[in-house]
Amino acid sequence: MTERKGIGENGKTIKQMLAENENLYRETGCYAGITEPHLLKENPIKGELFHSRIMSSLIAGRETTRQVAASPFVREVAELCVGLYTPEGDNIAQSTGIQVHIKLMGDNIQWMINRNYEEEVGINDGDFFLSNEPVIANMHAADVYDILPVFWEEELIGWVVTVIMEMDIGAVSPGMMPTANVERGTDGLKWCCERIGSNDRLNRDFEHKIEMCLDMSDIFLLDRKGAIAANIRVREEVKRMIEEFGIDYYKRATRELIEEERRNQLARIRQRMVPGRFRSVVPAEFPMADQPVAWTPAKKDTIRLIPIQMDIHPSGRLEIDFEGVGEWGWHPFNGTPNAIWGAVSVVTVQTLSTDGRANLGSLLAMNVKKPAVDTLLNPSQIQKLATSTPWAPMLDMFGMWTHMLGVAYYLRGFREETFNYRSSAGWQMAGYDQMGNKRPLMAAGTGFFGPGACGVCDGVDCGGWLATAEVDMGNAEVWELFVPHMEVCHAFDPYSVGYGRFRSGLAIPSIGMIHNSPQLIGCAALGTASDRIIPNLGLFGGYPGGRRTMILMRYDNLPELMEKREPLLFELGDPRDLAERFPGQVSDHGLIPAPVELREGDLCVSANASGGGCGDPIERNPQFIAADMDNGLTTEWQAGNIYCVKTDYNEETKQWHVDETATEEMRQAKSKERLSRGMPAKDWWQKSRQRVVDRDMDSKIAEMYQSSMKMSDPFSQEFKDFWALPDDFTM
Amino acid sequence: MSKPKDDDRFDKYIEILQERVSYSEKILMPLGEHLNVVQKGTERVVKCDCGHEFGDWRQNWKLGALIFSRDDNEKLEEIYPGIKRPDPDLCEVREFYCPECGSMLMVEAVPVGYPLVFDALPDIDTFYREWLGRPLSEEKEFKDMTYDVTRQWGRDIE
Repeated sequence: MTERKGIGENGKTIKQMLAENENLYRETGCYAGITEPHLLKENPIKGELFHSRIMSSLIAGRETTRQVAASPFVREVAELCVGLYTPEGDNIAQSTGIQVHIKLMGDNIQWMINRNYEEEVGINDGDFFLSNEPVIANMHAADVYDILPVFWEEELIGWVVTVIMEMDIGAVSPGMMPTANVERGTDGLKWCCERIGSNDRLNRDFEHKIEMCLDMSDIFLLDRKGAIAANIRVREEVKRMIEEFGIDYYKRATRELIEEERRNQLARIRQRMVPGRFRSVVPAEFPMADQPVAWTPAKKDTIRLIPIQMDIHPSGRLEIDFEGVGEWGWHPFNGTPNAIWGAVSVVTVQTLSTDGRANLGSLLAMNVKKPAVDTLLNPSQIQKLATSTPWAPMLDMFGMWTHMLGVAYYLRGFREETFNYRSSAGWQMAGYDQMGNKRPLMAAGTGFFGPGACGVCDGVDCGGWLATAEVDMGNAEVWELFVPHMEVCHAFDPYSVGYGRFRSGLAIPSIGMIHNSPQLIGCAALGTASDRIIPNLGLFGGYPGGRRTMILMRYDNLPELMEKREPLLFELGDPRDLAERFPGQVSDHGLIPAPVELREGDLCVSANASGGGCGDPIERNPQFIAADMDNGLTTEWQAGNIYCVKTDYNEETKQWHVDETATEEMRQAKSKERLSRGMPAKDWWQKSRQRVVDRDMDSKIAEMYQSSMKMSDPFSQEFKDFWALPDDFTM
Repeated sequence: MSKPKDDDRFDKYIEILQERVSYSEKILMPLGEHLNVVQKGTERVVKCDCGHEFGDWRQNWKLGALIFSRDDNEKLEEIYPGIKRPDPDLCEVREFYCPECGSMLMVEAVPVGYPLVFDALPDIDTFYREWLGRPLSEEKEFKDMTYDVTRQWGRDIE
């Protein structure tokens, strides 16, 4: 009996190749055992040409997808990315776009390899595989991976994978990233690296299934066709490159690109940061008590601590540790160790690996310590749980990580690299659009938030989204075609700010006026788990931005107001008297509104907030404040009360002017006030300790500490050490 | 695409910081706006630009600061009015001031009862020895000494 010939190099199976590759890395610490990379260096121009050919094919592939697809998520937001992989599933390069999935798409390929797809399922030239299963590796079920093997003379020499975030995968209402969603089945359709096509054609039965199961089947199928077009385009370009450069060069050079990036990443860290330990904490709020879920144990509000520690080791290796994270729960916000790598990837390409050469090597210089089993970030029951929104705490965690990286840059003197991100939440809907189609809908207008201040200047107003800067929300006019609402606010909210010597960028609230839907319900789409506890994003004396919330506003007499051409609400204005000013009902829904029926003219408000300011606000240049006031970005109340600047408005010049003398006096008075208001740390500690000893805190906070102490002895010990509590102390 | 960073930035930055402070001790590393770790004799201490000292850099310097905790609606409204206000039942916003000059050195927003966040504990000796190639004299063990202080405070109130 002759041994079956594998589809990998020299007749090996790809499972053998993967095992050999992993062994080489373990033995040498270098990718694929490449201890002396030489090929790219021997002829650097050839090497650059090779890399740029790969990059241009990936970017062209991504643009191809945008032209074929119809979803505004693809055409407007461009929330997609194309990656090229080795036969073992290791990322060589990726296109522009949402670069979260470098490792996760490779994890799916390796899942196929380790489950013996080569022999038991079959991997052939022209096969299409589909996956969106977070239990394998993904950020949430709405991110769908189209996977295409690449063959050269009957040998598998790589893979191309495209990710697209889908608007509809058939989940329980509202159907995109549902929050009233606890059990796996309510996530919608899932594919576990399943074959959906062969010979470069989608299977007809797959198309029938989509047409039967999804409200937005046309969008979903066009997205597949767009992704397949991208994948095939890249595959054919890879073949042309092999003809031009030779197969041996292709195989060695692609692996050297990964090893070169691993080395470069370590060098970047050693050049730009300092070794040591950096810490912060993210409290994640999960208000599920009012959510209409059938699995009633889920109906409770919980808060979970996510402490974050970043260690930068002497070698330059960067490690992230979540020791002390609390327990998992019955909600769709649990994370997975794989998903953490997705968040690491997206921050990495924006902070360290910004030269267009990010790949698996960028991540090999890092380590994420695997969170303890049955914590929020590693539930053993993950296969039973809904996985529609692990993003919610994940975006807060990695907004915080950008902040911690910024501190490390600052300590090295690169203060211009210091900043942070904050995420947001929006209204998600289900119901009938203005064309009479029942389907999931998402309000996705021009709103969103401002990133934190930089160490040398203000944050960019409305200029930040963690999931990469080049992915923006697109044109409001296009979204208005897809969702029965009108975006009515296009004004920065001065009160969204994180104050500081350099202030954060400002957010624009999203205010969508419901229009022309026969029937519609609204609830939440979460990109944050922060609500009543604001994120710890203030830096060196700057404040974090305030609370963000979701509000439903319902006019008492909208037709009458319109008839009389009375002004409607187009911006939030002063946050203190919003409810009093508005001619109607105002209900603050916090993080997750329980599903509510929406009516014509309702305003779905997402009152976004920003990251942190940097430096003491009373050191802000008064002229910056006057300029902000001229532009409607800072109010007189903020100038006087926060920045301690005395300003006067000149009716003739229509400009604000600073009274320098009065400002100096106000600032000196503020410093004196601080010295009298501030409590010596030991006194503060004693008072706060008593509160802990007496459990004088909200029951959700006490339960949060119980949960973390239960899951982590080191956290429990440090908590007791800080508050000088007896060893047998429990919350 | 970002340009490569300048290799001598750290030394240039320290030089500028040194020119701006009121004291003569050598700055080893910046720790924040107004705060630096300085060499004081054989010790390394955290020092404010005004000259106030916060103690060994391996202890969280916040234990030497004045602390103002915004832990009720009234205090939070001064900064975060109306719908922007966090919930004082769940969240406190702590401000840390220099006891001498009144500069606000850090603000932290955390759940009620959370220990003070020790934002940055740089491994100064490894940095100078292995990354800059010019080791400091009198190397110190790299460890968190914060709990030596808090445990002592605990004994003081017994």
